[in-house]
Amino acid sequence: MIDGIPGTLNTVAPEDIESIDVLKDGSAAAIYGTRGTNGVILITTKKLHGDMRPTVQYDGYVSVQTIARRPEFLTGDDYRRLIKEGIDFVDYGASTDWLKEITRTPVSHTHNLSFQGGSATTNVTASFNYRNWQGLFLNSDNKQVTGRADVNHSMLDGKLKANLNVITRSRTYWSGVDAGEGGFSDGNSFNSYVYRQALIRNPTDSVRNSKGDWLERNIYFYDNPVAYLMESYGQNDERETRLNGSLTLEPIKDLKFKLLLSGNQWSETRGYAETKKHVSTVKNNRNGYASRGNSERRDKLLEFTTEYARSFQKHRLSLLGGYSYQDNTRENFYMQNWDFPTDQYSYNSMETGNALKRGDAVMGSFKDKWKLIGFFGRLSYNWDDKYLLLASVRHEGSTKFGSNNRWGTFPAVSLGWRVSKESFMSGLTWLDDLKLRAGFGVTGTIPDDLYASLRSFNYGNRFLVNGVWVQGLDAVRNPNADLRWEKKEEYNIGLDFSLMDSRIYGSIDAYRRLTKDALFDYQVPVPPYPMPEIVANAAQIRNTGLEVLLNFVPVRNKNFQWTSGLNYSTNKNMLVSLSSSSFAATNDYFDAGYTGEPIQEATHRVQVGKPIGNFYGYKSIGIDDNGRWIIEGKDGKPVASADKSPDDKKILGNGLPKHFLGWNNTVQYKNFDLNITMRGAFGFQVLNFQRLFYENPKVVQYNMLNTAFDKVYGKTRLNDDLALVSYYIENGDYWKIDNVTLGYNFNTKGLKYIRNARIYVAALNLATITGYKGIDPEVNRIGLAPGDDERDKYPTTRTFTAGVNLTF
Amino acid sequence: MKNRHCIYTGLMMIAVMLFTGSACTKLDPETFSEIVEENITYKESDTAAIIAQAYSPLRPVMADWMGLFDLQEESADEIITPARPNGWYDGGTYQRMHRHTWTSLQEQPSSLWGRVYLGVVNANRAISLIESGELPVGAAKPSLLAELKALRTYYYYILCDNFGNVPLIIDYKDLSVPKQSKRQEVYDFMVKELNDNMAQLRESAGTGMYGRFNKWAAKTLLAKIYLNAQVYTGTAAFPQCLQQCNDIIQAAGTVGYMLEPQYRDNFKTNNETSRELIFTIPYDDVNALGFIIHMKTLDPLSQQVFRMEAQPWGGNCAVPQFIDTYDAADTRLKDTWLQGPQKTPAGVEVIDYVKYVESIEKSKSNEGYRIGKYEIKVGAKGSLSNDFPVFRYADVLMMKAECLLRAGQTAEAAALVTQVRQRAFASTTPAKAIVTVADLQKGSSYQYGYWNNGQITELQGGADVTYGRFLDELGWEFAAEGHRRQDLIRFGIFTTKKWFQHRPNGDNRKLFFIPQEEMNKNPNLIQNP
Repeated sequence: MIDGIPGTLNTVAPEDIESIDVLKDGSAAAIYGTRGTNGVILITTKKLHGDMRPTVQYDGYVSVQTIARRPEFLTGDDYRRLIKEGIDFVDYGASTDWLKEITRTPVSHTHNLSFQGGSATTNVTASFNYRNWQGLFLNSDNKQVTGRADVNHSMLDGKLKANLNVITRSRTYWSGVDAGEGGFSDGNSFNSYVYRQALIRNPTDSVRNSKGDWLERNIYFYDNPVAYLMESYGQNDERETRLNGSLTLEPIKDLKFKLLLSGNQWSETRGYAETKKHVSTVKNNRNGYASRGNSERRDKLLEFTTEYARSFQKHRLSLLGGYSYQDNTRENFYMQNWDFPTDQYSYNSMETGNALKRGDAVMGSFKDKWKLIGFFGRLSYNWDDKYLLLASVRHEGSTKFGSNNRWGTFPAVSLGWRVSKESFMSGLTWLDDLKLRAGFGVTGTIPDDLYASLRSFNYGNRFLVNGVWVQGLDAVRNPNADLRWEKKEEYNIGLDFSLMDSRIYGSIDAYRRLTKDALFDYQVPVPPYPMPEIVANAAQIRNTGLEVLLNFVPVRNKNFQWTSGLNYSTNKNMLVSLSSSSFAATNDYFDAGYTGEPIQEATHRVQVGKPIGNFYGYKSIGIDDNGRWIIEGKDGKPVASADKSPDDKKILGNGLPKHFLGWNNTVQYKNFDLNITMRGAFGFQVLNFQRLFYENPKVVQYNMLNTAFDKVYGKTRLNDDLALVSYYIENGDYWKIDNVTLGYNFNTKGLKYIRNARIYVAALNLATITGYKGIDPEVNRIGLAPGDDERDKYPTTRTFTAGVNLTF
Repeated sequence: MKNRHCIYTGLMMIAVMLFTGSACTKLDPETFSEIVEENITYKESDTAAIIAQAYSPLRPVMADWMGLFDLQEESADEIITPARPNGWYDGGTYQRMHRHTWTSLQEQPSSLWGRVYLGVVNANRAISLIESGELPVGAAKPSLLAELKALRTYYYYILCDNFGNVPLIIDYKDLSVPKQSKRQEVYDFMVKELNDNMAQLRESAGTGMYGRFNKWAAKTLLAKIYLNAQVYTGTAAFPQCLQQCNDIIQAAGTVGYMLEPQYRDNFKTNNETSRELIFTIPYDDVNALGFIIHMKTLDPLSQQVFRMEAQPWGGNCAVPQFIDTYDAADTRLKDTWLQGPQKTPAGVEVIDYVKYVESIEKSKSNEGYRIGKYEIKVGAKGSLSNDFPVFRYADVLMMKAECLLRAGQTAEAAALVTQVRQRAFASTTPAKAIVTVADLQKGSSYQYGYWNNGQITELQGGADVTYGRFLDELGWEFAAEGHRRQDLIRFGIFTTKKWFQHRPNGDNRKLFFIPQEEMNKNPNLIQNP
């Protein structure tokens, strides 16, 4: 929520953010409805409060990036050495570092100017932000201009307050991927296919042939990555305008009405083209290719609240009631064409291609819309700051559910007791504050699919009727008319404390969440259903966890201050059940995650009574003299890989870390400040796809990791086909020195116009301590297949920055 | 002052009301790019769209990635997908298919199940719409219903042939968890359904019924079901099969069915002009994608030969032992298999397809003859426009010949086989087309046995196969048309003989397992043995 309106972290420039608050527990988040079911991040942008003399602030920085850890593949010399050993590689004579050929050391700069000024009744904050960022891969860039203005006006003796806020953002970036019909995926500047081609290309091959043309070879899915990159050109133009305003009226003391209106419009125009020197023509005879696309999102929000707040004697009471309406519309358009008379047009004369006229090229458009409506009320009561009560209820409806189940009611209550205020505690002078909290809250979740409850049909697959290719009216999905809210019930207890004049402070929170009617892509029998999946409320998931936040100030004096913060969290989850009144499974599990071709196996098993994130597959325990895997069979005895059967599969680890730890340190010495952020995750496994696919010496047509010829289990070289075995599942434990910033504040006392001046240097992702062999153990943890370290994912980078902050 | 506050408050309230209006609690979903059932009122002009949705699932069923074509061919003795230098191990799926070591997780049967039942559900929907009158079709109602029921029977025929015991779903609206029917029950349903509806089916062929079930397509289907009755039920029904074949042959002159003088014309890009095709699945490289047999079989280098818009993948090829059964004068050898040096339009040789294939686990990219039966036009795309020939008139003649042969009327059978062979030898040695009664009594010339680097070890031969020569004839005429598994089962070879690197792995391999994911979802299903 950005100033109370839903948005994303990209919406405002980081330099414009005043503060960020995180609400995690269900009882606090309940008032925000379904949007807050996974917690709420409250971003407050910089605003003026009261009278302030006009200031201008400038922040700027320059940064360079490097690949933190590059995958080490065989070099040309390695090839020639292995050929001598009898390996069937082809030596084309050269030595090319293909990854180097498609990457660079990117230099980026960012500038931010902000102005503030005004009086107690009218004030303005405005800012201007410019970024020009380069990407790691050749051509990739990102240019963005963001402008923001925030106007506050107070009238009628402060009884009526108005706020108007405008953010406009314009971003342009190079795109190396055809976005395709799907839209919203935004054609990316990173093309993983090009990256893969650079990894697997023969290192003895050359970028260009003797005539100076790109050197291509007619091998299966084997294209010159440099040519692919340099002969394609795409540009995405993103525009976002966010306009919101609010009116707050206090007709009488203690009573406040607030009306908030917001409109957000996002659009993206895309163009993408491949020249006649691109593989699409050189190999696939397309004779030039281009596509265009456009996507748009419009979000409207209205919120009206009435609040009555009153303090009398030691009582403080606040009552709030409100109504909120939100709708969101998306539109998309895409077209492609090929067989162009020239490369000169790029994607700017789509009509000159011939493929669309022949019916070969496709085009598409679509539009959808959802609405979310909520009524809510909140009571908060506090006696002498000692006993605190917060109770809320939200009645919320969404268009995404079946007609009888659109509305859900979500109550929450939390209690607080400031123990330190009790008289019996007054003797403890070392204790500044001690507060006990307990809460219960229910929040709801809506499905991603907008229309999962509807029985719909679309014209699509054609069939020849009377010599004409007629479009059939096909079912869109398995509809679920009973689709209803997923409800998450959360209990939490917590403790806030502050000791020894705030030298030590922190909090401890424990929670237990039960997700009921969890929305799943549930497997249904075919027949009677035409498709194997339906979106259904079918599972129960339990999460329990503990979070500890501890801040301390080991040293605090005039010239030297050291503050340190530790945060720790742990979570345990379990799938409690996997069925509902409408659907009952015979099996208490289903598989998730996918290796992709050519292995084509699931990576995870989700099973009742077990945690989410379990890897599932064959447990390798050795290798035989012929280089074939030896698997541990279901009875614990060794099985040759050729004789293995699916019954032998086992749980091989879990991709969700058991423990997270973070440690921040800030040291200030005179004018210097030093900040070090470190964090780590422990007790989890990662499936190393890069080794799974690239550490197998059998398919010699493509390059491989330089460890591919190492002895497996210290015995012999691998001579087996690609297979998902536990050999590729590694412990992922890591400790990262994430961010180190060193700054210097100039003494500005004698200067007339400059109030603050600071310079700093910073390193992001400075070092990783881990036993993991892949490029980065911090991998995807979302969804049902956490811990899969995708084969061709964007390499993790290390960033070095130098910057300046000036306030005038 | 106080009044003014009330005015402000009031104005604000009004603003809120105006903004939200009646929409303030209305949550009916708005759709733009899909049509909700409640908003559809069917008119007679929608008939074509409803027929289309019932037939179009046939495309992914047959010639698409891991379709019926692969199940019928790669589990049998004519086609294999060996591992190639560029991969083609794919978790062992092709090797399991070849060696009959598949489990209930095997990909090809799993995808077949889902694709065929989509067809069943869509056919049920069409039948339900027409029967209930929701879709008004006028006088065409009886013939359309009969046609859709024949189509649905074809879907069940595929299920019966591959899985045997499957749920029989004929009610579109019933979403209860289905019960499984025995193979005998499925057979009885199919026979009754086709016989009950035969009289209402249209008799005309030509454009209007192209790719659809007219009476003759339904009769060919019924003949196929009878032909395999022994396998499906334990009781043979060759006389009934013969009857259906005779009906078709009798009507052929009037309707316009005949053997095309050129064998290749049945498989060319525009094969809809063939008068031999009784039932086809129409494909089109623009409008109706899914014919990818050429993509799977051709080596990537063949892209330059045909100047293709897509790079083929380089996978499956002919079993060398099968190629050895051909008579050199039989033009079907060249008409079915792409072999020898392949040259670009400029005459540059890019690859030489050789007969030899090292093993199922290892092969060079040029090893094995490729499926060249379906014409690959210059500039071909990732999907071809050739229509897939499901039933040909030659098939009817050969079914009749088999019934006669099994009934001891060998001379008549030999005459029919000769008739089918004539065009294959017309340009080489016409005399060789003649098949004698003595010929038809022979076993198979297939050198069954285990293939070990070009040597046949564990030789079984084919001399002991009853009507083996006739099976060979079926092989030569219908190679790469998705027939072979069914024919091998009927002739008792599928689970008894060795070929290439396949060894028999139990009689239960005559049926595929019901896909594990379906077993998991439907507690009424009992797994095939």
